[in-house]
Amino acid sequence: MKDEPCQLPDDSRAPVPPADLPAAAAAPERRIAHLDMDAFFASVELLHYPELRGRPVVVGGRAVDRPRRQADGSLHFARLRDYVGRGVITTSTYEARALGVFSGMGLMKAAQLAPDAILLPANFDAYRDYSRRFKAAVAAIAPCIEDRGIDEIYIDLSHIEEATLPLARRLKAAVLAATGLTCSIGITPNKLLSKICSDLDKPDGITVLGMEEVPARIWPLAAKKINGIGPKANERLGQLGIHSIGDLAAAPPEMLVQHFGRSTGAWLHRAAHGIDERPLSTSREPKSISRESTFSRDLHARHDRAELSEIFTGMCLRVADDLARQGYVARTIGIKLRYADFQSVTRDLTLAVPTADGAAIRKAAGECLKRVPLQQRLRLLGVRASSLLPAAAAAALPSPLVQAELPL
Amino acid sequence: MLLIKTQRDTLLSPLQSVSGIVEKRHTLPILSNVLLEKKGDALTFLATDIEIQITTSAAAEGGEGDGAVTVGARKLQDILRSLPEGTEVSLVLEEKRLLVRGGKSRFTLQTLPADDFPRMAIGNDDAKRFSVTQKQFRQLLAQTQYAMAAQDVRYYLNGLLLLTEGKELRAVATDGHRLAFASMEIEAELPRQELILPRKTVLELNRLLADSDDALEITLSANQVRFAFGNVVLVSKLIDGKFPDYERVIPATLKNSLELGRTALLQSMVRAAILTNEKFRGVRLVLQGNSLKVMAANAEQEEAQEELEVEYAGDSLDVGFNVGYVLDVLNNVSSDTVTLNFNDANSSALITVPGNDRFKYVVMPMRI
Repeated sequence: MKDEPCQLPDDSRAPVPPADLPAAAAAPERRIAHLDMDAFFASVELLHYPELRGRPVVVGGRAVDRPRRQADGSLHFARLRDYVGRGVITTSTYEARALGVFSGMGLMKAAQLAPDAILLPANFDAYRDYSRRFKAAVAAIAPCIEDRGIDEIYIDLSHIEEATLPLARRLKAAVLAATGLTCSIGITPNKLLSKICSDLDKPDGITVLGMEEVPARIWPLAAKKINGIGPKANERLGQLGIHSIGDLAAAPPEMLVQHFGRSTGAWLHRAAHGIDERPLSTSREPKSISRESTFSRDLHARHDRAELSEIFTGMCLRVADDLARQGYVARTIGIKLRYADFQSVTRDLTLAVPTADGAAIRKAAGECLKRVPLQQRLRLLGVRASSLLPAAAAAALPSPLVQAELPL
Repeated sequence: MLLIKTQRDTLLSPLQSVSGIVEKRHTLPILSNVLLEKKGDALTFLATDIEIQITTSAAAEGGEGDGAVTVGARKLQDILRSLPEGTEVSLVLEEKRLLVRGGKSRFTLQTLPADDFPRMAIGNDDAKRFSVTQKQFRQLLAQTQYAMAAQDVRYYLNGLLLLTEGKELRAVATDGHRLAFASMEIEAELPRQELILPRKTVLELNRLLADSDDALEITLSANQVRFAFGNVVLVSKLIDGKFPDYERVIPATLKNSLELGRTALLQSMVRAAILTNEKFRGVRLVLQGNSLKVMAANAEQEEAQEELEVEYAGDSLDVGFNVGYVLDVLNNVSSDTVTLNFNDANSSALITVPGNDRFKYVVMPMRI
């Protein structure tokens, strides 16, 4: 993948049109795919343990939950009902989802719903490996890819001369051949609709949609299916009597602006009409590098000071390591806390001098920590380095001056 | 009862002398007031913030009797200042109110009882007294006060060291990055005594002292100092602490020295400062042969370079300074030239005035 716009040299496509509807609708139609791996982590696990196929499996345990080889040569798997701890589900197979357990749910709570489900520890090295494989397989066919994380990508197919459906089948076949895994693809004129569509026929599905089909196929869906309408916005929409995307499309734009502010209001209106002009972002530069950890028990800033301080420092050093390994320095250092009541806060600090130094990151993160209330116990702590700059570019900046102190 | 009837300016100027120290917001409401005390032919003005107390007086012929009251200092000052110059103003005490009349204007102000007004106890135990001219002392302050810390946790740096020894009076201020020292001769002969004037006292004195040869009488005691000049008496508490040993900070001998035109250097620095980083304000000085370059760059990578021709045969130097610290000294001495003395880019530089060993300025570099 190269960091270039996904256009042919002779491309005469107009620049992104202004935000009003008619102009946007008049833009030449693109063909954007959203490819989402099916129950990715769980599926990778099933490749390793084919005997679990067809059974409810959740991923999210700890190393101690790793399957053990028994005397007779068969594997013993941990059951959800035996789990004690505070972990959450990373992913679950479709069979487990049918029992009502989904990503993000606490494992102990999931155990009540599906006590017999198999529990597996997450094996991130394997997931990363399969992630690389499926992306490489897609890139061999369509090189213009926006990486959206470990298990999903956007692909710009506008410049590939092949009918949409055969092309989609070819992509799926390539992914299957490279990984043994299935995926679901949505292909529409933009990222917003493709993201919605890849979810419509899961697993192993293909959904192709044109703008003219938006009213019939998109408007009946719940408003929260739009990527960007989270639980809070959805709740506020519900209070306004807006439940489906169609309701949102029919809502007066002024009313949306009044309730959600100018930019969000306008975006909601456009999104409901299936309009999204965002280009693919093919840059591979990371935006931030972070580490976070949920504690095995909630910690208190004062009573557990020593333990917390050790975790915090370790986290800063790991972020420094990650930065150094990837060749970046960060100008902004931030922290994230989640309290025992699940409220989260973030704080950040912009440094005068970009850094990848563990001590400097620890100091900045410590400053951030002074700006948050610490009466409540903490459940999670994270450190994030952002405003990244390649280390080589930072070295070329004028060197910072540090005021020396008088020997008083 | 009529307290006084006089020209606006007869009231305004003493009021302005005392009201500078009145805090806008204070936990004790009466401290935003000024005490007016009429006794015989004099009207005394007194203001305090508990740490500092300033008194002055105006001639008050034509009143009807003695009396005392406190009234909002800022309000009274605003009223007097906005009346036309030359207006005849009368202050009349009525029950719990003060009536201010001038021309066709009248204002009724609320008051608080004079007896409730806090006054500083004036200690006079084994005090040492000496006299200098206002101008001399003001100059001593001007040469040093800009180097005081403002809100340092080392509270003793948020002030100015006054030191007497024999026939010498010294002033020293430092914020931990630079230090200014100045001394003057006095007629009295005094034992060695150190005291730290609070920052606010120094700024207030600088505001009130005149550039005149009129006398300033300074009385030092263990925990306060009294300055008497013209009609004004200012009493200030002292900062209770140990000022750092400034003599250790002032380098005795330095390998290299360079004499520079003060104005030319000042102007170069002012121009270079435009392109320094707002927060750190670093400039780079590169001295080589007969050229001194002043260079600055900001976060946007914009750059400034100034070059001065100098007569110099010492070591080459490439050093960073906070341009503010250099501008401060250049702006506060009045000589034609200054001397820059240094060893290398990592140790302190000493800026002096040729032919004057009573002034020294030490500044630490910024490490590149």
